[in-house]
Amino acid sequence: MPKKLKAAAVSFLNAWPLTEGLKGSERIELVLAEPSRCAELLEAGEVDLALVSVAALERGEYEIVPGMAIGADGPVQTVLLAGEQSPAIWDEVFLDTASRTSHILAKVVLDAMGVHPKFTPLPAADGLARARGTRGALVIGDRGFDVRANHLVDLGREWTHLTGLPMIFALWAARPGAVLPEDVQELTRAAQHGLGVRTELAQRFAAQKGGDPERYRRYLTQRIRYGLGPYELEGLEAFLARAADKGFLRRMELRFVDDVVHRPRARRTLSLDAALASAAEGGRLSPEQAEGLDEKAPLLELGLAADARRRALHPGDLVTYIVSRNVNYTNVCTTACHFCAFYRPRGHREAYVLDREELTRKIDETVALGGIEILLQGGLHPDLGIEWYEDLFRWVKERWPAIALHALSPEEIWHIARTSQLPLGETIDRLVGAGLDSIPGGGAEILDDEVRRRIAPLKCSTDEWLAVMRAAHRKGLRSTATMMFGVGEEARHRVAHLLRLRELQDETGGFTAFICWPFQPGNTRLAPGDGSAHAYLRTNALARLFLDNVPNLQASWVTMGGGVAQAALHMGCNDFGQVMIEENVVSAAGTAFKMDGEEVERHIRDAGFRPARRNMRYQLQEARPG
Amino acid sequence: MLSPLAHRALERDGLGDVRDRVLSGERLSDADGLRLLEAADLAALGALANHVREARHGHLAFYNRNVHLNPTNVCVASCKFCSFARKDDQRASDGYTLSLDEAVGKVLSRRPLGITEVHIVSGLHPDLPFEYYTELLSRLRGAWPELGIKAFTAIELHFFAEKFGLSYQQVLTRLREAGLDTLPGGGAEIFAPRVRRKICDDKATADQWLEVHRTAHRLGIKTNSTMLYGHIERLEERVDHMRRLRELQDETHGFQVFIPLAFHPEHNMIGRAFPKPTGYDALRTLAVARLYLDNFDHVKAYWVSLGERLAQAALSFGVDDLDGTVLEERIYHMAGSTVPQALSEQTLHALIRAAGRVPAERDSLYRVLKVHETPQAVA
Repeated sequence: MPKKLKAAAVSFLNAWPLTEGLKGSERIELVLAEPSRCAELLEAGEVDLALVSVAALERGEYEIVPGMAIGADGPVQTVLLAGEQSPAIWDEVFLDTASRTSHILAKVVLDAMGVHPKFTPLPAADGLARARGTRGALVIGDRGFDVRANHLVDLGREWTHLTGLPMIFALWAARPGAVLPEDVQELTRAAQHGLGVRTELAQRFAAQKGGDPERYRRYLTQRIRYGLGPYELEGLEAFLARAADKGFLRRMELRFVDDVVHRPRARRTLSLDAALASAAEGGRLSPEQAEGLDEKAPLLELGLAADARRRALHPGDLVTYIVSRNVNYTNVCTTACHFCAFYRPRGHREAYVLDREELTRKIDETVALGGIEILLQGGLHPDLGIEWYEDLFRWVKERWPAIALHALSPEEIWHIARTSQLPLGETIDRLVGAGLDSIPGGGAEILDDEVRRRIAPLKCSTDEWLAVMRAAHRKGLRSTATMMFGVGEEARHRVAHLLRLRELQDETGGFTAFICWPFQPGNTRLAPGDGSAHAYLRTNALARLFLDNVPNLQASWVTMGGGVAQAALHMGCNDFGQVMIEENVVSAAGTAFKMDGEEVERHIRDAGFRPARRNMRYQLQEARPG
Repeated sequence: MLSPLAHRALERDGLGDVRDRVLSGERLSDADGLRLLEAADLAALGALANHVREARHGHLAFYNRNVHLNPTNVCVASCKFCSFARKDDQRASDGYTLSLDEAVGKVLSRRPLGITEVHIVSGLHPDLPFEYYTELLSRLRGAWPELGIKAFTAIELHFFAEKFGLSYQQVLTRLREAGLDTLPGGGAEIFAPRVRRKICDDKATADQWLEVHRTAHRLGIKTNSTMLYGHIERLEERVDHMRRLRELQDETHGFQVFIPLAFHPEHNMIGRAFPKPTGYDALRTLAVARLYLDNFDHVKAYWVSLGERLAQAALSFGVDDLDGTVLEERIYHMAGSTVPQALSEQTLHALIRAAGRVPAERDSLYRVLKVHETPQAVA
């Protein structure tokens, strides 16, 4: 038999049903003490767990024993404000010294009533005696049974009235790791026993302290709730959140003794539920809300909210795509990003710059396949100046006037400006003059320099990336925006990224669409990131909610596969990207999803939508057979 | 708790009555099943299925450590969806039949990997004696007493009964004496006669498949169940298939799990005419199965068939089981599957955890061997 656990608990009647069954326990030794003493014993490590008031949770990183607590859903009878006059005129309230949770509850309730008295600590007997005129007193514990006063405010009832939720007053808190699943079973067994003998406990209490046993029985069976289910947890979290909002308690995360099967869901706080509901209606999310959702909201909750947004922004059942070709004009690059499997240094035997013959073949094929756009991107080649690009663009436009040039990520434009020693604005003007139609949003990775410096130290900074987009948008160019996540960043970085995009979009309105994908581990030097479908669908849905000013969201079947992309159509996306004739960069890292136009349309239809072709400004070109 | 957003979406989709039945634990009708399959609102359907899944299993996601053994690919049947079978064991046609020593040796060589289950299915070999199969099991059982032996689909068992002049009960009893623990769920395909006639007209019928499982259940042998979807069947026929399983389950309670299998089109007869079903179809089928099959404990997403990504996503669409480490999968790979032939336990854990679930290793009988607690709870 292992060493017995030590547990401290109060001797109040309402604790008896939880502690009675521990008498004679072989696993747990019970120590009775005053409420404040219970918290001290726990904090000092003199006991392994204690039945403490919930406010005591802030005194350590405690684990809550799941399933049981002392609470009330409505009147509690033993946590009262008492006075001769109505609380509305009180200017001073005496606080019983026994329980901080009740102090905070009293303050929260009075605050909600618009009453802001002075609070003075005083033992209950003295406080009650002085609760005259504009003075009231807080009374807690068994003393509450006998209080007589003109005005009594039952704080349990007031809380439930205020929030619609139960109030949790006390629970078993344990030192981290001290309590094993078997101990939880023992505590549960004890509670089941105690709850079964409440009538006897009421009689025993009456015999010891006097009073009506039937009244105590009703109190134990009808007033106090001993369960700690999702509903109670919501009440508990609401209380802790309000207390933290008012500065009465520090903000904390609830942690439970690890009991995987019965562990209550990590409950979302009310504010996150509210944020999700509001975002589903088109409300703008704050970065804090978005971080909270990123960290805590279940996938399908984000998905449902994002789907509601997609339905509002794109009513009907059209899902668009474009027929275009990715052409990577060179793989020579100087930035050597850790996540890239595509680049080669100049002089490497696999280094290339496409010649006109090769380009002609690729573009002719594209046109033959119904393509209307070339997505032209490449590495940062140190020898290619702006003239090279101008020549190339003019040549393309002369030979294929109908082909749109969606070309050069901000990184490349920045690089061309630097290589040719030109101002950014002039660089863009000259490229547009030569035939540039729009800019792809690649190379954004995570727009937070903390992350960028780590994964792509030689790449342009967040501000530089955005500066190119700003300049391009001001000159009437449209662009997409992207995010590659799962490179070891945190929720705050992803949200910072989305925020920078949203701010620029407020300013320029130049982004047509947002596309995200997880980092593709495989052939590169970064450790495998979370390149998972689950993370992708969550991130995508959050982006739909947060980027309220970006009209379109593309599902990335190239990186995630058709099935996951179909799921994304039901969680925020309205576009299925492109029929991609070639994509060197992602496939170099091991992704091998390929689809032709027929296959793209089959996926769109099978997911319950109608396919339609678009151009790179997201204007409809051609409805396809349903 | 079903969230307000889910309630609103289901109301909007006109599925409020189905939702009410699900929430009150009432059984869904065939018409309900069909409506859900046709609903085209994947997020709302998923939320409802996820509600049922979490009520049953919380955040646990089950897997096992298993190895596949396919003793022969020689088969007298000519199922049009199959890329595995060969007509003879000539090397020229890629046919093979393992000797008993080879077959037993293959499994025993996996012992150091902590395998708990072997999954044995084969072609319907025209010449092998019944003793080949009993001997295979008894040698495995003798050498590795604690190994879970899941062997022979109802199609094979029916074939043994006919070929060797035995009743189902005699076949099953003798195999159990040799070491058999459970039956895999393969060979169910689609029960509807219209479909069976077209895709597999020369093997056990639906009634025979069900009777083999009924017999096994009566003998106390637990079994799995499958459905091969995404070829020529209609949605009604999927519901019909699940209804027959649900009825037998009411009668025997012998099924452990339902596993919808996506048809793979490469290197077989009907793949030319039908492309592979999409991931959307997989997710909705799994979700509807979770809702319709109210008397089944588990719904499995077989990652070999779906790929790791979809299988992971499926953990939010009603699925609680991902099969296992699956060493040496052959049947799907011969039909064009490009997923790895095995996943390490570590990779399975990572997949499960990244989906906010808790990996739980189970054995052949779905008893939990170990819950691998997460370092932290993820929503």
